[in-house]
Amino acid sequence: MTTPAEIEKMIAQTALRDQSAFSALYDATSGKLFGVCLRVLNNRGEAEEVLQEVYIRIWHKADNYAVTGHSPMTWLITVARNLAIDRLRTRKAPTRDIETVFDLADEGPGPEAAAIASSQRTQLNACLDELEPERADAVKQAYLAGETYKDLAARHAVPLNTMRTWLRRSLLKLKECLTR
Amino acid sequence: MTAPHDPNDDDILAAEYVLRLLDTAGHRQFEARLRDEPALRDLVHEWEARLAAIAASEVEEVAPPSTVKLAVFSAVAPETRETSSRRSWFTGLIGVAAAAAIAFVAIGPLLRDQVDLSPKFQTELASADGELVLVAGVIPAIHEIVIERVAGQAPEGRVLELWLIAEGSDAPISLGLLQTTGETRIRVADDIAPSVRSGTIAISEEPPGGSPTGMPTGQVLATGTFVDI
Repeated sequence: MTTPAEIEKMIAQTALRDQSAFSALYDATSGKLFGVCLRVLNNRGEAEEVLQEVYIRIWHKADNYAVTGHSPMTWLITVARNLAIDRLRTRKAPTRDIETVFDLADEGPGPEAAAIASSQRTQLNACLDELEPERADAVKQAYLAGETYKDLAARHAVPLNTMRTWLRRSLLKLKECLTR
Repeated sequence: MTAPHDPNDDDILAAEYVLRLLDTAGHRQFEARLRDEPALRDLVHEWEARLAAIAASEVEEVAPPSTVKLAVFSAVAPETRETSSRRSWFTGLIGVAAAAAIAFVAIGPLLRDQVDLSPKFQTELASADGELVLVAGVIPAIHEIVIERVAGQAPEGRVLELWLIAEGSDAPISLGLLQTTGETRIRVADDIAPSVRSGTIAISEEPPGGSPTGMPTGQVLATGTFVDI
């Protein structure tokens, strides 16, 4: 298991164009970042293409890392998630049929997610648990699957504005809980 | 022009920006403000950190195929070479390389009567465990890559395949299979030839007859970038 301090050092060396440090960084983190791309895009080929862009971006932008004040994994995950969402948003008009919507719904907080939550009770999970389950699910789906207000409203069968209000309130509650 | 911002509004906007929930116009407006407002950038970073924790705890690791790493490293390799050699003889080299590239592309074929058949670029292809060592040289005048075997061979029942990943490209192009013994000469198609000098070449092990998919399917054993001889 690579520690955050080790990953931070690899990023710093990558900024100095140290290719072997970059290789070690790739080996230590590409599984997680590929998981993020797959979760957002739900398509293996696209996720592979985006993962490639992600590491090329990391190579070129490693010197920006310190500016954000992020922990190393936060920065890496943010780079991956943003590029994956960009790809998702440039897809042609969504052609999701009802089946796909149900598939996505099935990926909500099932027994597996619940097990992870109970095994590693991070502060975030505890705070998400304070939200009503379907609102916590909406926050997760917006982040992990890149769902839009429209997607979320359709899936939860509520009007668009209701979903907007729900999610905004949930985000503020989440922040309030995390900074408590 | 507009009413003073409620701090809560900015916080929500930052969250929606991070989640990519803003419409195109809203997204652009927000990015324009980000350039001038450090406090807004801080809000964005705070939301990025809060929400990344969701991925940190909920997303399972999935090993990507080895071709992704190969493509990433081929894309970043030329820059590494440039940086490491810049201080010494790089300035001279780039002139020579540019001249060679021009000769390669433009006038090489015109000088058929006095073709220079000596290799001009070379690289070593060695596997990480040192078992397989090959040396590849390029004869620009005739667009040929000559691969000499120094040590090792393909794993039992497999063949070695040579690939080119052109600079800035992400898809390897198959250049052909290596002979099982001795030297292999591979003629590179004219349209690909100019990208050999700046690209990365790689050796993978494949089923007999070569990769069935047009992309490396076996393990990538070695990669290299050419340097001028």
